[in-house]
Amino acid sequence: MFSAVNEIVQFILGLGASVMLPIIIFIFGLILGQKPSRAFKSGVTIGVGFIGINLVIELLVNELGPAATAMVERVGLELRIIDVGWPAMASISWAWAAAALMFPIGLAINALMLATKTTKTLNVDLWNYWQFVFIGAAVNFVTGSLALGLIAGGLASALALVMADYTAPYVEKFYNMPGISFPHITALGYLPIAAPLNKLLDKIPGINKLYADPETIQKRFGVFGEPLIMGLLIGAILGIVAGFPLADITRIAISMAAVMYLMPRMVGILMEGLIPISESARELMQKKFGGRQLYIGLDAAVALGEPSVIAVGLLLVPITILLALILPGNQVLPFADLAVIPFLICLVVAFGRGNVIRSVILGTVIMALVLLIATNISDIQTALAVNAGVDFPEGATQIANLDRANFLTWVFIRVFGLFGK
Amino acid sequence: MVKEKRILVACGTSIATSTVIADRIRNLCEKHNIPVKIIQCKVPEVRSLAEGMDLIVASTRIPSGINVPYVNGVSYLSGIGMENTDQEILRILKEE
Repeated sequence: MFSAVNEIVQFILGLGASVMLPIIIFIFGLILGQKPSRAFKSGVTIGVGFIGINLVIELLVNELGPAATAMVERVGLELRIIDVGWPAMASISWAWAAAALMFPIGLAINALMLATKTTKTLNVDLWNYWQFVFIGAAVNFVTGSLALGLIAGGLASALALVMADYTAPYVEKFYNMPGISFPHITALGYLPIAAPLNKLLDKIPGINKLYADPETIQKRFGVFGEPLIMGLLIGAILGIVAGFPLADITRIAISMAAVMYLMPRMVGILMEGLIPISESARELMQKKFGGRQLYIGLDAAVALGEPSVIAVGLLLVPITILLALILPGNQVLPFADLAVIPFLICLVVAFGRGNVIRSVILGTVIMALVLLIATNISDIQTALAVNAGVDFPEGATQIANLDRANFLTWVFIRVFGLFGK
Repeated sequence: MVKEKRILVACGTSIATSTVIADRIRNLCEKHNIPVKIIQCKVPEVRSLAEGMDLIVASTRIPSGINVPYVNGVSYLSGIGMENTDQEILRILKEE
């Protein structure tokens, strides 16, 4: 009996993430009381999104890989690791064998912490559970232990709740969103560094007198916020630096614009498939805990409309590219995740009370660390991508991304890494 | 044949939260027989895409000085006050 069950489980795992996830999501949907037709459709949708994302990653790696290699040989820039972006890393994370277990584990931890009053945040942002899944998958990879991976992912979800509580007053005051908190590791990950640095800046006389107008910056640097144009420009510049002939330069430029434009759409499909699950879970949790005064934990995306956040995010795009060129030890070529910078700094801006100059200073320090950490964990990310079935071309192309080059995530991976293998 | 309504749905990335909001609006309009075309975008793109839209729904603040009705869709993410947001959107769409 047991061996039969085991065989079925092994068979499903062997099908690969694009088949395994739809099956798991279908079963989850049924458990949460959805109609079979709806659960089935959302499962298939997730499989389709998964395949779409893999197509775009392959386009990115196939086009950008040779250019990066040529650039290394021609001008000696050591930027051989391609930034594939968080959407790609999210789908790669979901390919982890135990990924779907993160939903019940995370929800149970949240329920337990609410019941014991160790948190006031009800995390309804199931989409970003992928960030706990990533920690789990990475820890599983470095330690060889699936159990340690699940423990690390669970602890990370608990830490996110505690930090969300801690930062909720800033969300309320600065973003004027009472009752909302961000248990979102991308936004929380650098606070242990940014918060003391921010205090230090207070000690420097005159720093608060520096002022830059967010609206002006938005108008002048707006191009850095348009993925289509950014992709085209970066592609063209890379082609030129790599010494490609004109025909190849134009092709890589259009391909990179395509990657920037298509990636979000593919993730949108994945997201659409997750909506029914996330709605059912939200209703369930709210029925249980809705009576109390709670923070509703959301994606930090809801904060990104703030003009000063947009302005700082735009300014940090050219700064990050420049850092990548001059920072000793960096090997990452920033690309797809240049769009994620506003998430990284949205709480930092709130700490800095919306002062653009001060936030850019803090943001520059953060982005330098992001590049170094991205370089440091790119081996792990590349291995996870291979496990997820991404085809890499001949020659050792490496991938990384800026979003998961997150200080807290890195600490989790490295600390747990001490216990394995 | 009723004229199709054009709705711009904006969030931080045009991926995550805007997909949730777009999904809810699509179902809402289907239920009320309002034909809609929904376009998702990032908040910094709102200014250049706003022209010709009947409604903007965003999970965040939007840039100032835009002449299109705006509804904050954060309730669709938090689950609190969703019906009010529904009513607000329907009122604007049925007005014209």
